[in-house]
Amino acid sequence: MERRHWCLNPRANGSDRILIGKEQRKRAKELAKQYGYLPYMIERYVVLWGEQEAIQFLKACERPIKKSIRLNTLRATVEETLSRLKAKGVRLKKVPWLETGYIADFRRISPGSLLEHMRGFYYVQGVPSMTVAEALSPQPDSLVVDMAAAPGGKTTHMAQMMNNSGVVVSIEQDRLRTASLESNIHRCGVTSSIVLRGDSRKLDQLGIAPDYILLDAPCSGEGLIALDPSRKRSKSMADIRFCATKQDALLDVAISSLAPGGTLVYSTCSIAPEENEFVIDDLLKRRPEMKIVPINIEFGIPAYPNPYGVELHESLTLARRFLPHKHDLEGFFICRIEKEESS
Amino acid sequence: MKPEHVDMVQWDMVRNQIDSDFGAGVTKRILGSLTPVSLPRGKGISFYLVPPNWLQILDRDFKPFTPLSLGIWLGDLVEGKFRLSLPVLERVQEFTSNLLIVSRQGAESFTYGRSILKESVNKIDPSLLRGQKVFILNESNECLGLAALSVDAYKINRLAKDRLVAKNLVDIGWYIRRLS
Repeated sequence: MERRHWCLNPRANGSDRILIGKEQRKRAKELAKQYGYLPYMIERYVVLWGEQEAIQFLKACERPIKKSIRLNTLRATVEETLSRLKAKGVRLKKVPWLETGYIADFRRISPGSLLEHMRGFYYVQGVPSMTVAEALSPQPDSLVVDMAAAPGGKTTHMAQMMNNSGVVVSIEQDRLRTASLESNIHRCGVTSSIVLRGDSRKLDQLGIAPDYILLDAPCSGEGLIALDPSRKRSKSMADIRFCATKQDALLDVAISSLAPGGTLVYSTCSIAPEENEFVIDDLLKRRPEMKIVPINIEFGIPAYPNPYGVELHESLTLARRFLPHKHDLEGFFICRIEKEESS
Repeated sequence: MKPEHVDMVQWDMVRNQIDSDFGAGVTKRILGSLTPVSLPRGKGISFYLVPPNWLQILDRDFKPFTPLSLGIWLGDLVEGKFRLSLPVLERVQEFTSNLLIVSRQGAESFTYGRSILKESVNKIDPSLLRGQKVFILNESNECLGLAALSVDAYKINRLAKDRLVAKNLVDIGWYIRRLS
């Protein structure tokens, strides 16, 4: 009989540890060496997806991610920006599920060097990041909070979707990153934002009840390996555990602050179930007033209701994932959650 | 630190400087139905324009957060001198004739932080005088920033092509340079 080893899950409570066989572990070690990863990562991929899909993931992370931009209708019409960029030789292809998102081939031009960029006609932004704001879809005149706002891609996108009506409260803790947040807000012609520096875990002390909250949570970045190969070896399970703990705390305060009937989108740029499905599953247990609801745009694949063989809340299939080997994009998790009207 | 209603003495200084730089009544026209508020920043005070219905939000104590900006950033008052912000330039430009249109090369150079030389000048109102602030526009009349004339406009034709005409005060390339 094959010996099986425990692979520690950061959410482990004794019942949801990952079981990995000796052969699988040996194979994972070989793959880790071949692709330059820490072995614990590959072990998780093999258990999560099986060996063949894990290899597809590893190969996909060796390929560059295509550049993408969001056309900013606060500064120019879609038609005007398209026409100007095409005249400069930029090749553009619309992302089917996004109103203003395009895959952009700038060829030898630096995307940040064009006048249209300086004037805020477009924002260089990953497709999954654009999808996050579209998944929240804040309505005009709403009160919105962006809990981890720098460098401002999602804040400026939401302000664009609301046509500068309502208020977007953009919170960022890092002093240097607030500079990029402010700069992008100004460049993109956003006039409906209030930028606050501070720890979003204290949002409830602000005394506001937002209609919408976007929590693109600080995470281990395990979905960004194609963009940052150093991530193959830079984070341990302890780092993932640390992120998950912070994500729990951010979600709790977000839900306490959210207006009854309000909507929250939780997202991470991590493919780790430990920072995604497990975090949301725990949340649903802690906060019965919250429920996962469908996202009204079609993208990605459903999130996992039983990652590593651990049965989680079935409604997790309403959340969505982007995976590098399935979508040629950064790995992302996006979940839309609503608070009961009567809570 | 929280946003406050503007101090009337300080606001008078702001209004006087904008109106004297760009024409009487320009401040009022930029303001429209918006309300000015102020926020201490470094050694100076930043001014912002917000819708009147924001005042109830701004009445709260923002602790434990620090407000950094809100609404439309109008500019900063430091040691009695007011500097218009970059994002508000386009709004102000609509109400003034202090305009300097530059060539394609001049426009590109200006967005890299350079000043305007005689060879880049396409069009300027000859009544503008040395020291006056002028909006720099490209050949498509797009606002690229603000500069201070270093020579009376009617004398520009007498200059050699490599002589300074307007000193760069702020340009839209700042958005990119600031992040690099």
